Amino acid sequence: MQSQHHKHEPEIIVKHLSVGYDGKVILSDLTFDIPKKKITAIIGPNGSGKSTLMKAILGIIPFQKGSVTMSGHPVEKSYGKIGYVPQRFDIDRSFPITVKELLSLAERGSINKDRMNEVLGEVGLNPVTVGRMLIGSLSGGQMQRVLIARAIMTDPDILFLDEPATGIDVAGEQSIFELLEHLQSDHDTTIVMISHEVNLVEKHVDNVICLNRGLVCAGPPAKALSDKVMKQLYGQHYDRHDHDH
Amino acid sequence: MLEILSFPFMQRALIAGIIVGVLLAALGVYVVVRKMAFFGDGIAHASLAGVAIGLLAGFAPLPIAVVYAILVALAIYWFEANTKLNSDTIIGIFFTASMALGVVLMSFIPGFQPELISFLFGNILSISTSDVVTVSILSAIIMTWLLIYRRHLTYISLDKDSAKIAGVRSDLHDILFYIALATAVVLGVKILGIILVSALLLIPAATSRLLTGTFNGFFWVAILSSVLSIILGLLLSFFLDAPSGATIILVATAVFFIVAIVTRISKR
Repeated sequence: MQSQHHKHEPEIIVKHLSVGYDGKVILSDLTFDIPKKKITAIIGPNGSGKSTLMKAILGIIPFQKGSVTMSGHPVEKSYGKIGYVPQRFDIDRSFPITVKELLSLAERGSINKDRMNEVLGEVGLNPVTVGRMLIGSLSGGQMQRVLIARAIMTDPDILFLDEPATGIDVAGEQSIFELLEHLQSDHDTTIVMISHEVNLVEKHVDNVICLNRGLVCAGPPAKALSDKVMKQLYGQHYDRHDHDH
Repeated sequence: MLEILSFPFMQRALIAGIIVGVLLAALGVYVVVRKMAFFGDGIAHASLAGVAIGLLAGFAPLPIAVVYAILVALAIYWFEANTKLNSDTIIGIFFTASMALGVVLMSFIPGFQPELISFLFGNILSISTSDVVTVSILSAIIMTWLLIYRRHLTYISLDKDSAKIAGVRSDLHDILFYIALATAVVLGVKILGIILVSALLLIPAATSRLLTGTFNGFFWVAILSSVLSIILGLLLSFFLDAPSGATIILVATAVFFIVAIVTRISKR
């Protein structure tokens, strides 16, 4: 993470974005940029619309108003250059597929076994032992790393992760953030993640988007995550020291 | 033993049976992982209306039933994508409405309808050369698509959003899967009957699931198990003079239970 925030070229530009369904407004009039080749975290309380925002940016769910551009084009033009890591709870673990078969799904054309071994090593998994395991027999942390490995198989320009550290132990959370930092610095990838781990966000990311139905703050964490903002997000009784591990 | 292969009806039944067995098992793997068991049953029953329209209009019932089943499958897809109703409810509506339409239309056709009975319960004797040609052509088209886009279909079945973002045309392949499934089910109806055809989508895949530890193995062992059940079931039905569709399903079920017991014992 860089200590000082400079104005960077935006990778994603969101303008006046409003999302809702069944007459209910989920997100209203959001405008912000996501800088290129940096790590951005979307934070906010449960139900604040974080996942909805990510899915709207990615074109998975439609939006009512506004626009989203990625590298100056509509998002759909970037399909194939984006890596996406869904919440691991969204993946059916009873699906009878091995780790290497799962990685092969992301490949275009013939299967490159060397690339599979390389990405498994990169996310800290043993290609020989873990590669042939069924996804149902992986631990939560291993599954998360496998999903990250699948997303980086095609060396994407932008990587989106929906709560990559949720539901794994404290050491696991920390190592996922460190892994993302390595991926960003080694490959110059733009990373956008949703996170609940505010203390880890403060340490490891370059930029935050704070959400509570509307946009509460945006910018480098040191500047954006003031006590006032945190109370606005998580309530008057929020104490950031309670959230230190 | 080889004598039975000299009967033209048996040759046609074996050729059509093996082709349909491969097709149903290959698609059945995806039916199982996508938890769409009711879809096969619903489409099979809905095809009765297509059969009735064909008979009433004086056309060959099989192609009309295929077209009708595809239209129903597309309608189910549309309702799933555009309404709050869950898949089971939508399939249930089309299943029963089409059955009702089929029964009403059948009542307008005077006299005994052997064709109708063969669609309800399956009949190897009723498979004509033109049926074999129809089954072969449609199956070849579906299997070609499936083998080319198997990885895409697997990706969509596991994680549709990620597949879409990775550049897979997930909506297109989903629609093609529904069309392929509707077509395969109706092709299977001739041999297995409306009531039993969905069993061949599920049982070989379930047997394979017990035996294999990879998705690739799951796919091919399901096909092998299905073909084995078809061949043994047809031969057994010939020797026992029993209904072919029901005998095939009983053989497939026996294979499933044997595998379940053997794999259970071998794990101890």
